[in-house]
Amino acid sequence: MTKHALRNNRPIFIGLALLAVGAGFQGGKPAADEIRIGVVMPITGREGKPGQYQREGIELTFKQINQKGGIYVKALNKKLPIKEIFYDDGSDQAKSAGLVERAMTSDNVVAVLGGYSTALGEAESVMPDRYRVPWITPGAAATAIFSRGYQYIFGALAPIELLGYTTGEFLGSLVDQGKLKKGLKVAEVVENTDHGVDYVNGINRWIKEHPGYFQVVFSEKFELGGTDFSGLLQKVKNAKADIFLSDAHLQDYITMQRQYLQSGMDHQMISYGARGPEQDARKALGDGINYIFAGIWWSDNLPYPQAKQFIADYTAFTGHKPDSWYAAPAFDATRILAAAIEKAGSLDKTAIRDALRTIELKDSLLPGQVLRFGKNGQVNTPFVIVQNKPGGKVDIVYPKDAATGDPIAPKPR
Amino acid sequence: MTAADLLNLLIAALLLAGTYAAMSVGMTVIYGVMKIVNLAHAGFLMLGAYFVYELHERLGLDPLLGVLLAFPAFFLAGMGVHWLLVRWIPSSDKPTLNSLLLMFGLWLVLQNIGYLIWGNTDRSILTARTLQTIHLGPISIPKVGLVVFVAAVGSVVALELALHKTWFGRSVRALMQDRYAGRLVGIHVERTARLTFGLGIAFAGAAGGLLAMLYSFSPDFGGTFLLRAFVIIVLGGLESFSGVAIGAVILALVETFSIMVIPAGYQPAIAFSLLVVALIALPGGVASLLQKRQHLA
Repeated sequence: MTKHALRNNRPIFIGLALLAVGAGFQGGKPAADEIRIGVVMPITGREGKPGQYQREGIELTFKQINQKGGIYVKALNKKLPIKEIFYDDGSDQAKSAGLVERAMTSDNVVAVLGGYSTALGEAESVMPDRYRVPWITPGAAATAIFSRGYQYIFGALAPIELLGYTTGEFLGSLVDQGKLKKGLKVAEVVENTDHGVDYVNGINRWIKEHPGYFQVVFSEKFELGGTDFSGLLQKVKNAKADIFLSDAHLQDYITMQRQYLQSGMDHQMISYGARGPEQDARKALGDGINYIFAGIWWSDNLPYPQAKQFIADYTAFTGHKPDSWYAAPAFDATRILAAAIEKAGSLDKTAIRDALRTIELKDSLLPGQVLRFGKNGQVNTPFVIVQNKPGGKVDIVYPKDAATGDPIAPKPR
Repeated sequence: MTAADLLNLLIAALLLAGTYAAMSVGMTVIYGVMKIVNLAHAGFLMLGAYFVYELHERLGLDPLLGVLLAFPAFFLAGMGVHWLLVRWIPSSDKPTLNSLLLMFGLWLVLQNIGYLIWGNTDRSILTARTLQTIHLGPISIPKVGLVVFVAAVGSVVALELALHKTWFGRSVRALMQDRYAGRLVGIHVERTARLTFGLGIAFAGAAGGLLAMLYSFSPDFGGTFLLRAFVIIVLGGLESFSGVAIGAVILALVETFSIMVIPAGYQPAIAFSLLVVALIALPGGVASLLQKRQHLA
C-alpha cells in the first residue's frame, strides 16, 4: 500500500477503529473446575434497565451459591463453583440469538439464562434444541415461545394470556363489588408482538366467558418504540371507552401515558399490562401514574418470609431495592437451575434438562410459593394486580387474600 | 369524527412537525456544505438531552435555558470534532464511504460514552409544564409541546435569517451551491466548513435538549429520530432549509392522519414509504418543485 493510499484512506481506518472501540469485544476460555452458565441479557438498548435488574437477580443467586462452595455434582463427588459467561445483547434480536448460540457452542456452558422481553426471548428460543442445551428465560412469557414443541426451553414467567385473563377477573371483581358499573366499554391498545396478542386474547377470553360485564369497542396494535401516539390516542378518544387497557414495554408506557395526560384524556381505569409501578415511570411522570394498575409476576409486598429475605439480600447486593417484579423471577430461575444441576448429579446437559422437567422449588418468591415447569416448559404461577397510589405507594389490590390495600375504582378524575 | 377532533389532530401534527424540523436542520446544514451524512447526529441529540438534563438536575436550570446554553457548548464541541476527525476526510461533492464510516463509528463511541457516564437508566425531565395542557374549548394543546414548537420554529427562523443576512451565511449558501466557485471568490472553505460543522452539531445538541422535554431518554436515544430526520431532509431536497420545514410538516401530517385510516402498527412503515416515494418520484425533494415553480414564474 502506498503512502498516498494510506493518507487517502486514513478516515476509513479511523472509522474502523472507532467502530471496534464502540462495538467492544469479549472472549472466552474453556472451562476448568467450574460450572459454566451463560447469561444473555440486554444491559444496553431499550430493554437495558429491566435486563439489568434480571441480571442482578441472577448474579445474586450465583454469589449466594458460590459463597457456599458451589453446586454439588455427584458424578465428580465435589462442589463446583458457578462461572458466569455474560453477554449483553444490546436489546437486538439477531445479536441475542447469536450470543446464545455462541455461549452454547463456543463457551461450553451447561445452560443459558436469557431473553428478557418477548421479542428477544423468541429470537433466543430457537437455539436450545439445536444445540441440546437447556435454556431458561426469566423474562419472556408469550405462549408462542412455548407452543412449538421445543424440548430444551423453560420459562419462569407465567403466560401473558393469563395476565390478560387476570386483568379481566380483577375488573370483573370491581363490578361485583359495585365499584364499576356493568357493561362498561373497553379500549385495547397493545404492542404489536406476541406479548400484546396474548394479553388481548386473555382479556377477551374472560369477557367472552362473562357476558354482560364489559364490551370491547376498540382494539388496535402499535409498533414498539413509538415516539408519537397522538393519532392512536385520538382514535381511542373517538371510541368513547370507559376503560383503557394497554400492553406496553417501559419506554412506550412512559411515552404513551405522557401523551395520554397531555391530550386531556380520562378513563375510569387505566392499565399498561405488566408495567405500572416502575421507578423510571414515577420519575418521568410524577403523580401522572397514580391509580394505574398492573398485573405483575411478583411484588415486594408479598408477605412471604423468603420474599422479605430476598429484598434484604438484593438491596445489600445492588444498593437499591427491587424495582417492580423483574429481579425475582430471575433469582428463582437461577435457583431452580442450580437445584436441577444438583439433582442431575452431572454436567450432562440432557440430564439437567430432564431434572428441570420434574424439579420443584418449594420456597419460590413467586405467588403460590412453588415453582415448577409445566409440560410445555412454562410455569403457571398466578399474577398479582398492583395499583399505584398517591405518594409513591404501590398496593397489591388483587387477589383479595394477598391484598395490601383496597383498589381505587373508578380512579379519581 | 368531529371538527374539534380533526383540529386537535392537526395541532398535534404541527407540534410534531416543529420537533421534526428542529432535529433535522443540523443534518441539513452539514450535508449542504460538506456532503457528509452525519450519522453521529443521533449521538449528539442524545448528548444534548443529557446536557439539558444535568443542568436541570444539578443547577435547577429551566430546560429552555439549558437548550440556549446547549447551543454554544455544542457549537464548540462540533468544531472540536471537526478539528479532530472530520477535517481528515477528503472533500467531495458526494457523500463518501469514508465519511459514513467515520460518523457511524463516532455515533457508537458517543453511545458508549453515554453508557459509561449515565448507565442504562431512562432519564426524564419533569417540570411543572410537562403535563399541563392549555384548553381552548374542545381544543387541547400540551404546554410543553407548544414551548418546544415555538423554540424549534424560532431556531429555524434564526438560522434562515443568519444564512441570508450575514457574511458567514452567504459563504455557507455559496458553498452549498458550488464549493469550487466559492473558493474562487475568496471564501475560506476550511474555516467555513469547520464553523458549519459546529453549527450543525449545535442544532443537534439544542434539538436533543428540546426532545428531552418531550421524551424519556437513555444513551440509545436518537436512533429512532435519525431515520425520520433522514426522510425529512430527503423530502426537503437535502440542502434546503425551507425544504426541511416542508418535509417535517409533510411527515408529521402523514404520520398523524394516516393512523386514522390504517392500523397504528403500520406507523413505522409510513416514514420508509415516504422515503421510497421521495427517492423515486421526487429525487430533488420539495425544494426542486419550488425551484421549478419559481423558474416557470
